[in-house]
Amino acid sequence: MEVFNPNPTVFAPTKSHRVAQFAKPHSLWLNDADSDQEGEYEDESNEVEAIDQDEIFELIRSISDPEHRSMSLEQLAVVSAPQITFDLKFPDRVTVEFTPTVPHCGMSTFIGLSIRVRLLRSLPERYKIDIKVKPGSHQSEHALNKQLNDKERVAAALENPALLEVLEQCLSTASLNA
Amino acid sequence: MDSIQRLVRTWVASGRQEEIQETVGAISAGSASLLDVVKALGEYLTAEEDELRNKGVDFLSLVIAACPSDKINRQSVLVQFMCGKLEDTETVIPALKGLNSLVVQPALTSPDAVDVVKALFMHVKMRALVQSQRFIVYSIIDSLVAKHREALKTMGNEFITGYVSLAEGEKDPRNLLVAFAIARVLLIEFDVKHYIEQLFNITFCYFPITFRPPPDDPYGITTEDLKKALRECLDATPAFGPLAIPLFLEKLTAGSPVTKRDTLQTLDVCLPVYGSLVAKENARKLWNTLKLEIFQPTDPETESMALHTTQVLVQTIYGGPTGAAQDQEIEGLAKDACEDCLKILKEPEKSQAKPATKVLCAFVSTTPSVSKFTLNQAVPHLIKLFLNPDEIQNRAPTLRLLADLIHAARQSPLQDSATPPALLPYKDEVLGVLTVGLTNVSSSLNALDGLNGMVTTDNLLFDDELGFVVHNVNELFTKDVTEHSEDVSDAILSLLASVSAIAPRHVSETTLPLLFTSLPDIAPPRTAESERLKYWTTLSFLKRLCIQPDLFEMLVIRLSTKLDLICVPSGTTLQDVPDPEPVAAYAHSILRTLADAVAKKVELDHPDVPKYVDRLLPCLFNLHMYSALVSNGDYLVATDPRLVSVSAEIVTLVLQTAAAQKQEQFIKSLFAAYLDGLPQAVTEGHHKFPEDAVFSPLASDASTLQKNLILLFSAALVALHKEVALPVPEEGLFLDKLLQWSVNQADNKLQNEASEHAISSVLNKRVEEAFLTNKLESNWLARATDTGLALPIRRRVILAWAWMTKALQVRSHPSAQRFTDRLVELFNDSDIGWDAARAIGQVVSTDKVLTKRNHAVIKFLYAQKFSNVMLPRIIEGAKSAGEPRLQNAYLVALTSLIKSVPKSAYLHQMSSLMPLLLRGLDLPDSEIRANVIDTLLAVADPTAKSSSNIVSEHASSLVATMLKNCMVREMPSVRVRVIALRYLAVLPSLVKYDVLHPQKAMVLRELAKTLDDPKRSVRKEAVEARTNWYKYSG
Repeated sequence: MEVFNPNPTVFAPTKSHRVAQFAKPHSLWLNDADSDQEGEYEDESNEVEAIDQDEIFELIRSISDPEHRSMSLEQLAVVSAPQITFDLKFPDRVTVEFTPTVPHCGMSTFIGLSIRVRLLRSLPERYKIDIKVKPGSHQSEHALNKQLNDKERVAAALENPALLEVLEQCLSTASLNA
Repeated sequence: MDSIQRLVRTWVASGRQEEIQETVGAISAGSASLLDVVKALGEYLTAEEDELRNKGVDFLSLVIAACPSDKINRQSVLVQFMCGKLEDTETVIPALKGLNSLVVQPALTSPDAVDVVKALFMHVKMRALVQSQRFIVYSIIDSLVAKHREALKTMGNEFITGYVSLAEGEKDPRNLLVAFAIARVLLIEFDVKHYIEQLFNITFCYFPITFRPPPDDPYGITTEDLKKALRECLDATPAFGPLAIPLFLEKLTAGSPVTKRDTLQTLDVCLPVYGSLVAKENARKLWNTLKLEIFQPTDPETESMALHTTQVLVQTIYGGPTGAAQDQEIEGLAKDACEDCLKILKEPEKSQAKPATKVLCAFVSTTPSVSKFTLNQAVPHLIKLFLNPDEIQNRAPTLRLLADLIHAARQSPLQDSATPPALLPYKDEVLGVLTVGLTNVSSSLNALDGLNGMVTTDNLLFDDELGFVVHNVNELFTKDVTEHSEDVSDAILSLLASVSAIAPRHVSETTLPLLFTSLPDIAPPRTAESERLKYWTTLSFLKRLCIQPDLFEMLVIRLSTKLDLICVPSGTTLQDVPDPEPVAAYAHSILRTLADAVAKKVELDHPDVPKYVDRLLPCLFNLHMYSALVSNGDYLVATDPRLVSVSAEIVTLVLQTAAAQKQEQFIKSLFAAYLDGLPQAVTEGHHKFPEDAVFSPLASDASTLQKNLILLFSAALVALHKEVALPVPEEGLFLDKLLQWSVNQADNKLQNEASEHAISSVLNKRVEEAFLTNKLESNWLARATDTGLALPIRRRVILAWAWMTKALQVRSHPSAQRFTDRLVELFNDSDIGWDAARAIGQVVSTDKVLTKRNHAVIKFLYAQKFSNVMLPRIIEGAKSAGEPRLQNAYLVALTSLIKSVPKSAYLHQMSSLMPLLLRGLDLPDSEIRANVIDTLLAVADPTAKSSSNIVSEHASSLVATMLKNCMVREMPSVRVRVIALRYLAVLPSLVKYDVLHPQKAMVLRELAKTLDDPKRSVRKEAVEARTNWYKYSG
């Protein structure tokens, strides 16, 4: 297998967005230490918490890089929270942009596909996701974008058992954080 | 003689054990000799018929095997005889058995031993024998090698070649274990220099061991046994080195991860034996292969083994007597490898820098000279890199690598108190770059980690340098503390904790005052969220820093003063404060900080806690009582029940550590305050109670604020030793009074629960038999069924009863069962049946009142005993009670009991429980459903076959009901939705794919809906569950 970038730059991952470590949101009161166990469930109101940038980022940050399996897409700065944007007019339209580590990276299609599959499985069906490489970050940007957003080509790729196996391996780390 | 002949004849016909025993008995008794046996066997031993000859020898062998050693005379004759029988193919096997017994005889002579071996080599065809027979051959040789080693050595080449051809091609694991043991002796003790290749062939051909023990293996030989035995051959002689290394290299490059790890471990033991010359010759090749495992690791385990092997390699090359000289020039592998790594470290931000540093860190723990060389190369390199203005954006990763090296140097086994720290020559520069690194947000975490490594290295930093470190860390506090991420806060704390362990002065004199002064005197208003976050952060620093006794004392003084100031501000009255809630919340945070710090100290058994019975508790009582007395119903901060609750926690924590005598003294004042209206008795502090104020919280006309202070009273009672008598004329009457108060007078749940706790705790420690008899005989619980009473009162009666039952059950009191029975009698009540049922679980649920630390009397396994009695009854009731209402009450009792007891108490009943639990999931009560799902999750163990089977049986119904319980449309409770999804997420690991395969598509479709749940916490679980179902396949 050709190695496209044997020694990529590693970035420190940001913390999972800081859960209120002291108090429940909008509370004046410090959490009681002994309510820790039930604390998780205390908010029984079904007030809507909309899906936001951070939540989507949380879904894809820990996907493994196909070339460096021990590292996540976040560590290689392939994906980041600000690169996830919502369409202002249609809140169900999301664009996820990613940055290949080198412009000739042959793994980019695969990375895009793994993001696509992870989001297909984890976001409600009403969402329409566009996946794009960061403009100017890849030599065949246009072809890549077209390929990643072509439903049929995505479906065809997922029918290749060998490809699917590698994909599942890369996705297997996706839910390990938290 | 005749009798022997008769025995022989009978045996040849019957083959029974008895004749053998009788013969041996005769020999032991001296009435016959082995010679007689041989004579008696005469005709058989020479018979024409094969089978008879075989039997003849077999009989003799069996007799020899069972004969006591002192009765075996004429060894040599017997040995020669048996050796002779090896020639005859029909008698080989019994002859081997006979020899096997003979060779262990103490009287066996060396010439005999040699003869046996020669005969074996000459006549025995290993390939013609089955495993157990070959085993006898190995056993014979093993015994001879053990007892007649010198004689065998004199055989020279003959023995070695003979053995090699005998052992060649052996495949059976049991035989191999013996063969490996023999080979090891040969390699170490015999002159084998001309036969290394042959011996290499009969040992290395088994490497790596791939044997998998068959299930139910009667010999119980494990892969590990074989690996270990083989390794002891492979590392038996340095002469194997040149032959072995290429083989190892091949296995390392081409093998599976398991083979790689086996090879690495084998290299670890072999390299030191093969010696520095072999290691040096192969250093390049070995390093190139190991490098691959480190820089492109298959898995973390193999990686760390490869690092270890690298260390062994370096130690082997440089560890010899010549390498010991510290100042010797380092040449060869260590130098080259170091240079390789440093080249990579020119780009510290790249992914390869990490493994390169691991290699350098590994070198630090090899030999003194290599360690010194490595640090001498790497540390200045990293410092230069850090200071290079072109590399400024790479400072964070540079410090990460530097911190790793600091830790490696600290942990190096070469480091002991006698040698100066390896880092000493670079101390100033390293300290310099680390403190610079502190000032930058991106690199501060790594800098803190590095500093922690330096601080904890023995003899590295002087006292003033520690002060310098603390000073620089303090600088971080002058910036906005809320800016620090959780990681940085943790790192700061851990560094300061390391310093306080060595020199607390620096922290108490500089850090603490800084933190205390940053706490505001006036609570920030409701809208000032960042201010609030700031004091929370400061307090959380304080509570984790001030555990050490001196620092804790400072914390108590400063925080209790602050508390008084906030709760009772001088000059202002509370009417001036438009919004008192933020004030109360601030005071609450301070109390919480104190409580958490005390709890930590209690957990660590600090001996200074009891003294705060006098120093802290009276101030808390003073504050709360004063506020309750002067309030006249107005809101005063310290009357807030949330604050009182935390103070109550502190009271229990501090008082439980005091000795009985001290407690007695304290409790006397406490009772004077609560029962005799003398609040001054238990307080101390600068709030003066108004002259005319009456403190009588237990009176029926007491204000709610006063009644709330029952929390503090109860908190003290639950912490008492059992020897401490209550200062009342009659404890039973007192309990009764408290009970009446709890049911009828308490204004709220807090007061109610607090008094129940007190009753339960007193009852548990100082069983009042008269009180119990009275309650049982008057059937006090029956008032719960009195429809004339308000429902909340009836519920309180049940709760009180449950707490009393618990007090008794925990100490296995004989009346406990009767108390429980009374609860069961209420199951059929239409109003409070479920409350009574829930109480069953409460009886054995874990709580914070009846604990060992609170000196409760707790009998071993009380919960198991309870469930052994109650579980069958409840299961029976849930299955067969007449009315559905009663059945459901039993179901409620079941779910609440199961939730409270350890799973070992019911795991064996799972098959009868499962249908009931599924029914419980249909009850219209989300708490019950949550209990059921929690129970199912608790027993969901993918490795336990039996529980998986039960789950498989009910898999479809489980899927259906969990899907129902995770939809927001059908289940309003967030908690139930979350755990229902969690259960769906584990199901694929519990149930074989073919069972649930038909449901997969449906489950995925349904789970898609839960991805759109309004709550984030539910969506998170939904993603997890759906992912697992996607992966679920045959």
